[in-house]
Amino acid sequence: MPSSDPLPPKENAIFRKILKCYEMKQYKNGLKLAKQILTNPKHTEHGETLAMKGLTLNCLGRKDEAYDHVRRGLRNDLRSHVCWHVYGLLQRSDKRYDEAIKCYRNALKWEKDNIQILRDLSLLQIQMGDLEGYRETRHQLFKLRPSQHASWIGFAMSYHLLNDFDTAYEIMETFRTSQTVESYDYKHSEFLLYQNQVIQESGNLEKALIHLEEHQGQILDKVVVQEIVGSLSLKIKKYDKAIGTYMDLIKRNPDNAEYFKCYLEAKQTKSSDETVQFYKEMSKEFPKSLCVQRLPLDVAQGTTFDGLISDYLKKNLRKGVPPLFVNIRSLYKDSYKVSTIEKMALEFCENLKASGHFTKDDFESGLAQEPASALLWTYYFLAQHFDYQKNTQKALDYVDAAIEHTPTLIELFVVKGKIFKHAGDPIEAYKWLDEAQSLDTADRYINSKCAKYMLRANMLKEAEEMCAKFTRDGVSAMENLNEMQCMWFQTECALAYKRLNQLGDSLKKCHEIERHFSEIVEDQFDFHTYCIRKMTLRSYVDLLRLENRLRDHPFYFKAAKCAIEVYIKLFDEPLKASSATEEIDLENLSPAELKKLKNKQRKAKKKAEVENAQQAKAEKKKEQYNKSKQQQNQDSGDPEAPQLDELIPEKLERTEDPLSKAIEFLKPLQMLSSGLIETHLMTFEIYYRKNKVLIMLKALKKAYSIDPNSAALHMCVFKFIKLLETNLAEADEILKQVLLQEIKEELPILEKKPVELNEDYIKRNPNNPDALIVAAEILHETSPENNKTKAIDLMKTSTKLDGFYLEHALLIHDLLKSNKLGNCEKELEEFLSSFREKYPYVLSFKQTNLQ
Amino acid sequence: MNIRCAKPQDLMNMQHCNLLCLPENYQMKYYFYHGLTWPQLSYVAEDDKGNIVGYVLAKMEEPEPGEESKHGHITSLAVKRPFRRLGLAQKLMNQASAAMVECFDAQYVSLHVRKSNRAALNLYTNSLGFKILEIEPKYYADGEDAYSMRRDLSELARKINKSDNFVANENSYAIKHHNHTHHKSDGHCC
Repeated sequence: MPSSDPLPPKENAIFRKILKCYEMKQYKNGLKLAKQILTNPKHTEHGETLAMKGLTLNCLGRKDEAYDHVRRGLRNDLRSHVCWHVYGLLQRSDKRYDEAIKCYRNALKWEKDNIQILRDLSLLQIQMGDLEGYRETRHQLFKLRPSQHASWIGFAMSYHLLNDFDTAYEIMETFRTSQTVESYDYKHSEFLLYQNQVIQESGNLEKALIHLEEHQGQILDKVVVQEIVGSLSLKIKKYDKAIGTYMDLIKRNPDNAEYFKCYLEAKQTKSSDETVQFYKEMSKEFPKSLCVQRLPLDVAQGTTFDGLISDYLKKNLRKGVPPLFVNIRSLYKDSYKVSTIEKMALEFCENLKASGHFTKDDFESGLAQEPASALLWTYYFLAQHFDYQKNTQKALDYVDAAIEHTPTLIELFVVKGKIFKHAGDPIEAYKWLDEAQSLDTADRYINSKCAKYMLRANMLKEAEEMCAKFTRDGVSAMENLNEMQCMWFQTECALAYKRLNQLGDSLKKCHEIERHFSEIVEDQFDFHTYCIRKMTLRSYVDLLRLENRLRDHPFYFKAAKCAIEVYIKLFDEPLKASSATEEIDLENLSPAELKKLKNKQRKAKKKAEVENAQQAKAEKKKEQYNKSKQQQNQDSGDPEAPQLDELIPEKLERTEDPLSKAIEFLKPLQMLSSGLIETHLMTFEIYYRKNKVLIMLKALKKAYSIDPNSAALHMCVFKFIKLLETNLAEADEILKQVLLQEIKEELPILEKKPVELNEDYIKRNPNNPDALIVAAEILHETSPENNKTKAIDLMKTSTKLDGFYLEHALLIHDLLKSNKLGNCEKELEEFLSSFREKYPYVLSFKQTNLQ
Repeated sequence: MNIRCAKPQDLMNMQHCNLLCLPENYQMKYYFYHGLTWPQLSYVAEDDKGNIVGYVLAKMEEPEPGEESKHGHITSLAVKRPFRRLGLAQKLMNQASAAMVECFDAQYVSLHVRKSNRAALNLYTNSLGFKILEIEPKYYADGEDAYSMRRDLSELARKINKSDNFVANENSYAIKHHNHTHHKSDGHCC
């Protein structure tokens, strides 16, 4: 439909030129042309011209003017598809996708067959996951442009994404039969594999297999063809075919564990002896395969295992393979295997020292001596073994023996650092890593590990300097690592700041990580059109499915958890409105204290000055950056990307509503990480502070279904029951009824009295130190006057349990220091004297001593 | 240890591995670009827990002037230090090269390596049959020169075409084991 306000021919010609200029990214010319129309008194309020002027201004970064013009244009011509389309483009450039979709829809009301608008709409719909809408739009595009490949593919895909496999297949089949294929056609090959995927997902596995066999001549990706044939044959129990296929795959890649597992499944191998025998045969054919040597160790038992592990250890120690320990660590789930490995390695060690052989038998049967390095690698192995067994002293003894043997091996210093880390001394740990990295400054891996250990020791500045050895010159390491989306570093920084109680800085890092995830989701945009053109449809569908779950990545979980905990802390203990100096009673200070204070103030002032200078510098840099970016955008024609708010620690830690910020981080976890108990415990803690009992109850229910014995959950349950005791009387009658009904049906444990709940919990978990320590805290809370002794006794009981480790000692230490049980100086001293003996390296135990 | 073709859900963990190991880093979009354009060419090595401990990120390039067909290129290859000396880099490279030949008819595969990176140079020349083509001055951001290297894949192509039972790991280049205790045997390049 033409505009309701058509221009006369001369002006219309100019308007067309404006459109052209926009497409050609000649924004300045576009503005000049728009001026020609708008300065004509008859057309000063011409809607479409105003809109196009606005869009052009947006590309020049003049956002406010852009919105003014586009909105004014639209008001003047509400029936123009151009005005609506332009308004949509503007919203899209600011990532307000829902609004943009509405605009496009309005535009289509006045011009329903506009290809460009339909394409823009379809991109937003797929990006936003509006699959129904996407299908409609793809249908429109298909009807309008049936000659284009992309029309067919997009149309078929829109059905696939809605799980209408048959329609998707039929569309593709019609498309396929209309194609003439050249002999070497990668796109067609990918197309056929995608069509096959659709059949597989429809559940008709026989049909998928037939389809694949029929077309495999035209498919170039032979690995995938075989993988599909193998897995389908296995599922429909065509074992002979599966056996042959997996053997071919093994020959192609004898380091793929999955192929071996599937082969054995197809062979219907039941006994572990048969499996071991199979791998033995395979080892002749594939002597270099790692799988063939390692996989039988998982299934072998008893003496068969003894024989295999002996050979495996000897071979690796003889050759000096550093990853020996990490390669067999997963066997440590089995206590028999652990003790066998330990016995054997100790025996090797003794004999290597005595005669240079692994065993007495080797010596007596006159075998040649092992290389001198075999003893070194045995020490190295034993150090890691004992570290993993939490035996710090033995681990240190062996690593020291190894260092004495060969003082230049970097791996030894890394292990020594790791032992100290596990033993509770992050400072000593980082020193050994620093030593290691100084021996190979060209290796970024060792540099990264050193930086990580520094962060664990709360040494943020040193860590950044360490990383700076490998980041680009000219920008700060922090900035460069953020630009490169280096999330491990940012996570560790966030946690270090949190430990140092620099909460704003910690939040900044968490938000930076959050922004990486948003950016990665945004990055999809370009691939919607690209992948359909390239025909890499299987990977594209994988990508779409991945992006929906992107935030179930551990990087997101860690950042979100840290942010939520910090925001909760800020809710509980809000910071003062500004960082103005606290009022201090100067008169009551001793001269020494006064001097100290003055020093402190001077340092703070200096720090503030430096920070201000840095801030100014950063501002200036940002300005320059924005300018150059604008320049770039003018060149490349991308609509100006919205500027994200700068993350300022002082502002972040003084947010008005920390709980709703916490909820923003929580939401993806509730959707994607509901299998983790922490998600529900965090939900509980947030809504506990918002006094939302029904949500708390739901969170407790979910947590219970994951681990009813969790110590952290027990504490939440206790808090909930106490909350009900005090608040229920005043609660709204309907809410009360709903709540009590829910509790009765879903979680009757909540009907217990606190004391009873706690007793019951102790009875259920007598051998769980975590449980007893939390129960002790509650024991005290339920009756503070009487039960401090009982609480202390319960903790003492926990220390005698088999599963009591350093982490539990730290829990007791923190609890007693926190004064939650009242003043416990005497009791703490008593615990510490035994802890210090048992865990001599723990820094915080030593530091408590100094005070 | 498990070696398999990389999927889109591996790409973030490949980026993590890259950031730990190498000075040449890329934003996620570049990884997605590789994974979504040439899904067959990138491989990962994972440990028993499914952590990615090594990867090769590869692509195809248009023919150079005077050449008829496309060739493969290794964008990045890394193995975490605690997993070196298992031969993972070589295994990863062999799988990627086979896919280049099979899916894209590549004649050769190219890569760049820092002049100072002796360990990588050693891997490429001695274990994988790469040859130095030329020196590219100041190739890296920090000003270091790169060796531009190539491996001819026609022999591999003959093997693949000759037999269905093609064995990727069987290559004609001897694997040299290093006996120096602190020698890393993986290759870094960009």
